[in-house]
Amino acid sequence: MATSTQAQPSTAQPSMNMEDMLQKIKDRQWALADIDWDAPGVEKIPEDFKPKLKAFMADLCWIENVGARGFAAMAKKAPNDTIAEIYRYFHAEEQRHANAELALLKRWGMLEDGEIPEPSVNIRMAIEWLDTYADDMPLSVLGTVIPMLEVALDGALLKFLLEEVHDPVCHQVFEKINNDESRHIAVDFAVLDMIGHAKARKLAIDFVSNVASPGLIIGMLMYVPLLNRMRNNLVDMGLQPEKLYRAMERFEKLGRRGEYTHRVPLFQVLRVHSKMVVDPKHPYHLLANSMVTLSEYYPRALFRPIPTWFKELTYEPVTKGVKKGMNAA
Amino acid sequence: MTVTDIAPKKRASRAKKPVTVHTTLVIGAGFTGLGTAIKLREAGIEDLVILERADRVGGTWRDATYPGAACDIPSQLYSFSFAKNPNWSRTYSPSAEICAHIEELAERFDLTKDIRFNTEVTALAFDKREARWEVTAGRTKFYARSVVIASGPLSDASLPKIRGIDDYQGVKVLSARWDHDFDFTGKNVAVIGTGASAIQIIPELVKVAGSVKVFQRTPGWVMPRLDSSTPAAVQRVFEKLPVVQQAARTALFLGHEVAATGLVWNTPITTLIQQAGKLHLRMTVKDKWLRRQLTPDFRAGCKRMLMSSDYYPALQADNCKLITWPIATITPDGIQTSDGLQHELDAIVFATGYDVHLEGPPYPITGIDGQLLSDDWSGHPQAYKSASAHGYPNLFFTCGPNSGPGHNSLLVYAQGQIEYAVSGIRALVEQDLRWLDVRKDVQDDYNVTMQKRLQSTTWMTGCSSWYLTADGFNASMYPGFATQYLRQMQDFRIDDYDVASNAAKRLWNIPADDTRTVAG
Repeated sequence: MATSTQAQPSTAQPSMNMEDMLQKIKDRQWALADIDWDAPGVEKIPEDFKPKLKAFMADLCWIENVGARGFAAMAKKAPNDTIAEIYRYFHAEEQRHANAELALLKRWGMLEDGEIPEPSVNIRMAIEWLDTYADDMPLSVLGTVIPMLEVALDGALLKFLLEEVHDPVCHQVFEKINNDESRHIAVDFAVLDMIGHAKARKLAIDFVSNVASPGLIIGMLMYVPLLNRMRNNLVDMGLQPEKLYRAMERFEKLGRRGEYTHRVPLFQVLRVHSKMVVDPKHPYHLLANSMVTLSEYYPRALFRPIPTWFKELTYEPVTKGVKKGMNAA
Repeated sequence: MTVTDIAPKKRASRAKKPVTVHTTLVIGAGFTGLGTAIKLREAGIEDLVILERADRVGGTWRDATYPGAACDIPSQLYSFSFAKNPNWSRTYSPSAEICAHIEELAERFDLTKDIRFNTEVTALAFDKREARWEVTAGRTKFYARSVVIASGPLSDASLPKIRGIDDYQGVKVLSARWDHDFDFTGKNVAVIGTGASAIQIIPELVKVAGSVKVFQRTPGWVMPRLDSSTPAAVQRVFEKLPVVQQAARTALFLGHEVAATGLVWNTPITTLIQQAGKLHLRMTVKDKWLRRQLTPDFRAGCKRMLMSSDYYPALQADNCKLITWPIATITPDGIQTSDGLQHELDAIVFATGYDVHLEGPPYPITGIDGQLLSDDWSGHPQAYKSASAHGYPNLFFTCGPNSGPGHNSLLVYAQGQIEYAVSGIRALVEQDLRWLDVRKDVQDDYNVTMQKRLQSTTWMTGCSSWYLTADGFNASMYPGFATQYLRQMQDFRIDDYDVASNAAKRLWNIPADDTRTVAG
């Protein structure tokens, strides 16, 4: 399956110079150690806000980790070596974001020593799905879903966080994260455009064969409640849902800029889906929210053990020696 | 010292001084250089000199002293058939034993007297007037009618160009030039690279170091290496009955030849080999994610196959960790990875391979018309049968363009190259020739065929490897069985060469710099 589903480099020319982009990525690397985690500013977070912030940041950090795993899968499908290398970096950068967000949690006193927040059931489902299916998904599927998640993260969650949290270190961290994410989004949409450049017949075959696959069906069952849970968490924290919706609209807007993006069937599906998510009165939410509730009853015993890639997060900027297992570095 | 330093009078007197012109000059006293000398002597060519940059023989095996260094081709096949060693202690011998075998060859064939140690070649130039090569080694000059370049493909190594490498304050160790003064016991160590050297070093470091972090860019295909000691009784049989040892050698040779059907050509056998690699991974690595990170993305054979049974277990040791995040930069204290972490390290081992000179040796070689080999070979190095290059008469390459084996012993191939060079030099001597220069059309035809045949090989399946030049041209590997390669090397055809004869020169009294050639 893998070979037949790759974008065709012979016909598809990226709309950006990927070599230049890779060089830019290499030049803009940063580390947790670049940030003074003990700088003043912690006191600017109101006590009553902390529990909600912790729940939100925990989800955010796990979503970054999930996104990281998505890039790891995409690196294997990349249409050429340069894009594969870019995805290798993006995989690491998403991990870096998750690590930095953990370090913020630690800074705010929300984590005990060695503590890593518990992933929610929807995150667990996403992990399990990624671990089982992601490496077998074609680029046309991953290359459409990942930009969707990134736009939602970048456009709504991070902006919201900066409006609500007045800790200067948090702003410093998210400025760095935002810079990385803007490069991710630029590459995501350039590749999506490349995917759309493939022959219509191939796009159709890819789509039909994958819609019928258990991977994509389960994926959608996982994706719908994950998105709505995030939405609900945000609304609980006082975010106007419009902000999230505006971010989702950006997915469509950025996609429309590409010359060929509209030809990717899954892009059209996600576009229509995002319209439903955007409309708070849409009956879709009845379904999605009941799925969130239902997922709470999902028997935890059915989960397979957490994969080891999920245990690599750490808030420690510097590591010495080898530690294995949870909070490893 | 330059010629212009000398007063004109003195220079004139020096110019008259006759110089010694050897029949053959061999560059390098490693396996191939010594093998060439042995075969030249056997052919009756006694007037030879070997230049060696170090102070003792052994070449790559003298320099490769990192812990765990060993060959990954069975020892019985990792020697010349004309100079076997019945006493290999193991199936895959460690480097010290291979080096000792090379030293023993120098002794056994009394070659040391012809070796000029501490003599590093800095330039080669063909003197058309005198029909001889002028070989410069620092301030010394040597002259020879023919030259064999036997400096090996893996003789040079240097630290890689990684961002921040010069800022690092800890100990930097290059795998090919191991620092034996540094004690790794209890230290926090990184190994950068997961190629053939790294997979031998890592299991040894894991035994002594406090922690070993392995930084991987691309995982390779790893096959189990079934290494065991050779019983003394077997060694005695090999010693008493060379025919038995030859039979063992032949069996191993044929076994490797069969592997070519999957490792040289991209075939369903290649897929089968990959399945075996995945099975090896599955049986020895417990964690699914670690297995994923260790599963190669390229066709087996496209990059060098790795042979090890202790690499995967070592990676899973409590004090070892595989890190697949890209290296963002090296810092004064260690390595910073793209996941935002700083790894504090006492030492970094760079197992980043060798400086393979695909575009010719690292010193200038000037041909018959004053042209430079580095220019001729820039981008797309080409030779005839990997041994001769048009415009560079009487010069024979070993490990030249398109001579590399992907599935068999390098020594088998080197033996073919030695035979070819000896045939050429014999022709030169016995037919009293001024020079032999491979014809341009013959060389071009040969390379068209080579490149055509290379298209169906595993090396051209899209991975990036040191076998290919920057633009993806394969100038290093031979697309075929070792048997085919040996057959072409045993077939020296003088018709393939433009020949200038001394007899013709004398008969017609042709001026020395006349370029007329006489077919041989």
